[in-house]
Amino acid sequence: MKKLLSIFCIVSLLFSCQEALEENPKSLAVETFYNTNAEVEAALAAIYDPLRSDNAFGALYIAQLEAYTDYSFGRGSYGILTTFQGLDGNNEGRTQSMWNQFYLAIRNANIVILNVPDGANLSEEDKLKYIAEAKFLRAFVYFTMVKNWGGVPVRTEANMTEIEIPRNTAEEVYELIFEDLAFAEANLPGVAPLPGKPSLWAAKTVLADVHFYRQEYQQARDKSLEVISSENYSLVPVTVAEDFEKIYGPTVVTSSEEIFYLKFSRLSGSEGWFFVQFIHHPGSGLFGGGGYYAHYSDVVANSTLASMDRDDLRFQLWYPWNIGLGANSVLSKKFSDPDAAGGGRTAGNDYPFYRYADVLLMYAEADARASGSISSDAMEKLNMVHRRAYGYDPNMASEVDFELADYSAAMFYELVIKERGYETQMEGKRWLDLKRTGQVKERIKAATGKDVAEKHLLWPIPNSELNFNSLIDPATDQNPGY
Amino acid sequence: MNINLQLVGCLLLFLGMSHFSLAQEAQVRGKVTEEGMALPGVSILVKGTTQGTTSDIDGEYKLNVAPSSILVFSFIGYATQEVNVGDRSEINVVMIPDFTTLDDVVVVGYGTVKKSDLTGSVSSVKNEEINAFPAANVMQALSGRASGVQVKQNTGAPGAPVSVRIRGTNSIQGSNEPLYVIDGFPYTGSNPTIVSNNDIESMEILKDASATAIYGSRGANGVIIITTKRGKAGKTTVDFETSYGVQTIRKKLDLMNAEEYMQFYNEQAVNDNLAPYFSQQEIDNAGEGYDWQDLVFTNAPIKNTNFSVNGGSDKTQFSVSGTVFDQEGIIKGSSYKKYSIRAYFSQNINKMLSLDYGATLTKNSIETRNSSGGNRGGSMIGGAISAPPTLTPYNDDGSYTVLATAYPFISNVLINPLNQINEQTSESEANIVLANAALNFMPIEGLTLRIYGGVENNDSRSNNYTTLNYINSQGSASVSSSRNLSLLSENTLTYSKVFADRHSLTALIGATYQDFSSEFLNGSGTGFLSDITESYDLGSAENPGIPGTGYSYSVLISYLARVNYSLDNKYLFTASMRTDGSSKYSDGNKWGYFPSAAFAWKVKEENFLKDVSAISELKFRTSFGYTGSQAIGAYATLNQLNSGKTVFGDALYNTFAPGTTLPGNLRWETTQQADVGFDIGFMQNRLILTVDAYIKNTKDLLNTVQLPSSLGFVRTIQNVGEIQNKGLELTADALIFDSDFKWNVNANISFNRTNVVKLYGGQDILGGSVNVTFINDNTSLLREGEQMSVFFGYMNDGYDENGKEIYKDLSGAEGVPDGLINQFDKAIIGNPNPDFYYGINSVMSYKNFDLSLFIQGSQGNDIVNVSAIGNTLDYGFGLNMLKEVYDDHWTPENADAKYPVITRNLNMRYSDRLVEDGSFVRLRNIQLAYNLPVQNLGIDWLRNLQIYGSGQNLLTLTKYSWWDPEVNSQGGSNAIGQGIDHYSYPTAKSITFGIKVGL
Repeated sequence: MKKLLSIFCIVSLLFSCQEALEENPKSLAVETFYNTNAEVEAALAAIYDPLRSDNAFGALYIAQLEAYTDYSFGRGSYGILTTFQGLDGNNEGRTQSMWNQFYLAIRNANIVILNVPDGANLSEEDKLKYIAEAKFLRAFVYFTMVKNWGGVPVRTEANMTEIEIPRNTAEEVYELIFEDLAFAEANLPGVAPLPGKPSLWAAKTVLADVHFYRQEYQQARDKSLEVISSENYSLVPVTVAEDFEKIYGPTVVTSSEEIFYLKFSRLSGSEGWFFVQFIHHPGSGLFGGGGYYAHYSDVVANSTLASMDRDDLRFQLWYPWNIGLGANSVLSKKFSDPDAAGGGRTAGNDYPFYRYADVLLMYAEADARASGSISSDAMEKLNMVHRRAYGYDPNMASEVDFELADYSAAMFYELVIKERGYETQMEGKRWLDLKRTGQVKERIKAATGKDVAEKHLLWPIPNSELNFNSLIDPATDQNPGY
Repeated sequence: MNINLQLVGCLLLFLGMSHFSLAQEAQVRGKVTEEGMALPGVSILVKGTTQGTTSDIDGEYKLNVAPSSILVFSFIGYATQEVNVGDRSEINVVMIPDFTTLDDVVVVGYGTVKKSDLTGSVSSVKNEEINAFPAANVMQALSGRASGVQVKQNTGAPGAPVSVRIRGTNSIQGSNEPLYVIDGFPYTGSNPTIVSNNDIESMEILKDASATAIYGSRGANGVIIITTKRGKAGKTTVDFETSYGVQTIRKKLDLMNAEEYMQFYNEQAVNDNLAPYFSQQEIDNAGEGYDWQDLVFTNAPIKNTNFSVNGGSDKTQFSVSGTVFDQEGIIKGSSYKKYSIRAYFSQNINKMLSLDYGATLTKNSIETRNSSGGNRGGSMIGGAISAPPTLTPYNDDGSYTVLATAYPFISNVLINPLNQINEQTSESEANIVLANAALNFMPIEGLTLRIYGGVENNDSRSNNYTTLNYINSQGSASVSSSRNLSLLSENTLTYSKVFADRHSLTALIGATYQDFSSEFLNGSGTGFLSDITESYDLGSAENPGIPGTGYSYSVLISYLARVNYSLDNKYLFTASMRTDGSSKYSDGNKWGYFPSAAFAWKVKEENFLKDVSAISELKFRTSFGYTGSQAIGAYATLNQLNSGKTVFGDALYNTFAPGTTLPGNLRWETTQQADVGFDIGFMQNRLILTVDAYIKNTKDLLNTVQLPSSLGFVRTIQNVGEIQNKGLELTADALIFDSDFKWNVNANISFNRTNVVKLYGGQDILGGSVNVTFINDNTSLLREGEQMSVFFGYMNDGYDENGKEIYKDLSGAEGVPDGLINQFDKAIIGNPNPDFYYGINSVMSYKNFDLSLFIQGSQGNDIVNVSAIGNTLDYGFGLNMLKEVYDDHWTPENADAKYPVITRNLNMRYSDRLVEDGSFVRLRNIQLAYNLPVQNLGIDWLRNLQIYGSGQNLLTLTKYSWWDPEVNSQGGSNAIGQGIDHYSYPTAKSITFGIKVGL
């Protein structure tokens, strides 16, 4: 009888067990998502997440590119990059981390592009808008990658679940970039719904930049002119160097100069821009949480800074600081946040991917190169940026203006390239800008006296890809020198 | 163990041993005593019958027996005695505590068995060994006490968990920690810190498959069964023990003094074509400066007080105890406190029903100051040896010196350790309840239905606060609280019977249900106006953090069965089966089956050995079976979306995306284990040897499979891979002298080899990542055909003409040396696994004095000394160095120096230079005790009184150069990164005095 009782206990357990072993997590599942506007907007926002990671634009990407320019030096583990001899193991690891984050962003974009067409509660109009944003970001990431790695495997919504795919050529990557940007240009809203989201003008700007990078100057000129002609943007006036805070400062939410930025915030103490910690010294207090001073320059030893006009307010964004590397070392305070609450991701500054100043300079150079001559319009655009840097009204002629008559076309290109170098310091753009000209070795040699190794031109396809993708052969598909 | 159950067991054992006899009966009465004290609850049986009684509260009994009868007196923990009745009417018996352990009853899964009837490999550790010295964690006390059990002390921080490996490492992905079963409850915590060491009656370590398979999917790493103290019927006893100890750092590192520091860095400056940093005058005035170790490390008290009351009647037995354990750490500010109250009650309701109830309530609180690891002095412990001896902790105005900016050439992350000690608090508290109750129903002889239920609840909270005085701080706080709850229901039916005098059978069937839920909540904030609120007003933070919450729930449903059969008390068979259903796995893979079988042969019982007096015991054992490991958390097979935050404008927006691990279709890891062993006793078991050899194969190993990262998912988990453990264990227990001078020695030694048999696609798995900027590499790997987690790095090949280290060119991309030093030149350069580890325990007593010594050691294991990178090689950042570097570095005149040239332009790799021999022998404990002869002094209200003095870790023999060889920075949960020392909290030595009083 008692035996029966225990058997009853066991039997009663049996009945309930199938049900008891079901899992019901209190979390969202992939299979039932992407149906409402709120869901898709959260999925779109997840594309920005990996881009904002410390391992990508949050720090490592820009820290890498700022270590080999004509105006700055890397220090510590970034020092080896300043020799222009390719990456050591440490920096290879860093580019691998970037690769992983970029592909995570691409995957998150592909998920949106794949799932949104079937979204149950979405209007057709919204679907186009969402897909356009995802494609814009996908193109932006592939553009970043193709500049630094050359051809990379092209993952789209069509092949996103295939485990192994081969490396595509750079041209194939550009094909997708153009296709995605055309879609984005046609379907993105005229006004970004929020600062940090792309508008169709952002799409046109990126398109102009892609053409510019490919030396397709006519298209670059036309697209940048479209952006300028929209009259949506204007340069923020500056009278003293401190006024640059109105552009780069930690509390700026947006400005008239902003076309497409990656946004960071002091809020929550973990959504700030980590890179700010890389460029400061803990003693300067310009970053509240300390500082690595991984990037510095020298107003004597560095020819670019040595020759920079002391009245250029942008020169005053460098401050002298003794870091044990001689009496003339300087650090950049372009991005500073003394009130950042502690180490790591606490600075409120944003990463300016595209400012109006970029577009003006891009237009000036593309216009001149496309026509082989300097138009007064091109010269005016250059002067707008130049004047502002000396504290003058960008739209009024000033005493620092360059005069059309003083320059040949070839001299003008050099003038714009120099101006771009001053204007985009610490924005992670200079190395690629020099590469774009096709004369990076000569230009670095001229500025620094150093020879650029061939292997320095492209980052290696990382081991996280090579070791696990049999369709990419490390012997034949790897970039030169690795 | 409940006394009634014992009785049932005794009944069964003696049934059938002799024939029932009928004769004229007469009353016999008497008293059972131990050392003059009445001993109640002793079983008194007429041999060969079921007739018998138990002694009452005064130790007295009466029984009607025939004169030809033999009375059998038995009681757990005492030698069984047989007495011929003859014509006596009064038989007084003095019970003698049993020192021959083979007659002990040991607790096994879901039951007990006489040690002599064991078929599996089980080690027992008793209360006296567990309490030999004060230890915050009972597993520290177990270190070296049992063969096959390797206890790794990961750090010396008070309250830090230890990791335990029973017969090696089985899993890459999952936990390798054993399952702890406390009074029948499979405990979910990683270390059984809920129990106070004094409250433990015994610990049984189940090692082979025959013993562990009954725990199925949780048995693969071995099982440790903890049984707390029980009350006994009779006089109520009161025990009180208190001890006080002082811990000190075992050794200091010999660092450069201020003058040497200045000269050293001037040499670096000169070598690097810079102007010297310090003038001759500064050097002349420098003197010794500060040894920051003196500022950080302190003498720390450790206090332990335990109070217990045990007693009961025939009907009710109880044991109630309380513990206060209070340890400060040798790093200022760190501490561990434990308060525990425990009760265990047993009630015989009637002849058929009894009730057991046990409950433990423990509060643990840990204050940590063990910021370890880090690069270039970026952690508190790193800062303690890296801080320049030239600098003081405080400025003249009382503010903290900012070391990171003190010199232009100094590390920008160097922490002022005192700033962190004083201005950063990190405290965690846990309130843990473990309660269980069982109703035992014995409707007919030999049949027991046990209905058992239990609950384990762990409410924890941590508070962290960084004050405004912390360098570069605006005040930051974070709190987190979590609750882990596990409910258990177990129903077992046990039947024991002896058939035809020679077939003894015990059968068990059961069904169990256990669920595991966990929830957490955390919050944070930065930017506070004042330190007064600490972490208790997050709402006032200038930047409140994003709160986090989480939830997980899983269920394990199991059915189990076991049969123990013995023939003629010579041939013992055990077979068991458990099936486990877990919610964590996907449909179709939820159920696993874990059978085992064992056989033992008591050779001593055979006629040919019965009369060989030299051999008092001989038993062969062999077993085979399967156990499992769950190795994954809840929901690991589902496609879940993770939430995150991003920024648009200056506001936060939610993100939802899949993680970076592609969910897979997973099933159990299965471990197959074969074991052979024997127990042999000589000279009335004055010497007992136990030997076991085993081989374990773990298959379907859950393994991280790397995916091409362009997929967006960087890894998935698959059931591939195989690991093998094989080993040999020996235990010897010898009673060398047994007179006024008594000397007992117990020694054990274990040999284990863990080999990686198969990995996914033959791919190496790298691990033990170390990034101290100067060197950034994986220290260890898993490779097919090699031992588990061996060290993998470059091989040092002396210095070049400039004094920079060069490496051996072992191979290249084409498989031959190519003149380049790259990843192809890495080789296996060390092994964190010991060749063997051992413990020796010696207890001597003479008259009223006891002297015990406990020695423990590990031989043949290597340590990667990551700390040495910063303080012997990384010369560019103003870190203080070992004095040895100052004395013996490369110069053109000293080309075969131990250390390279002093320059900031070294580009060094992770090489065999960093691998050191981690073998050690340690006098873990030495204790001298004096027992007051209370009987002789006629103090009848006192049962015993002992005062003792002891020392822990007073002597350690090791070649390891850093603080202490017992170190494992990456902890027990990381299967690959083992044997790494990265600025770990050092282990202390201590001296303890205590008193034990029994009433």
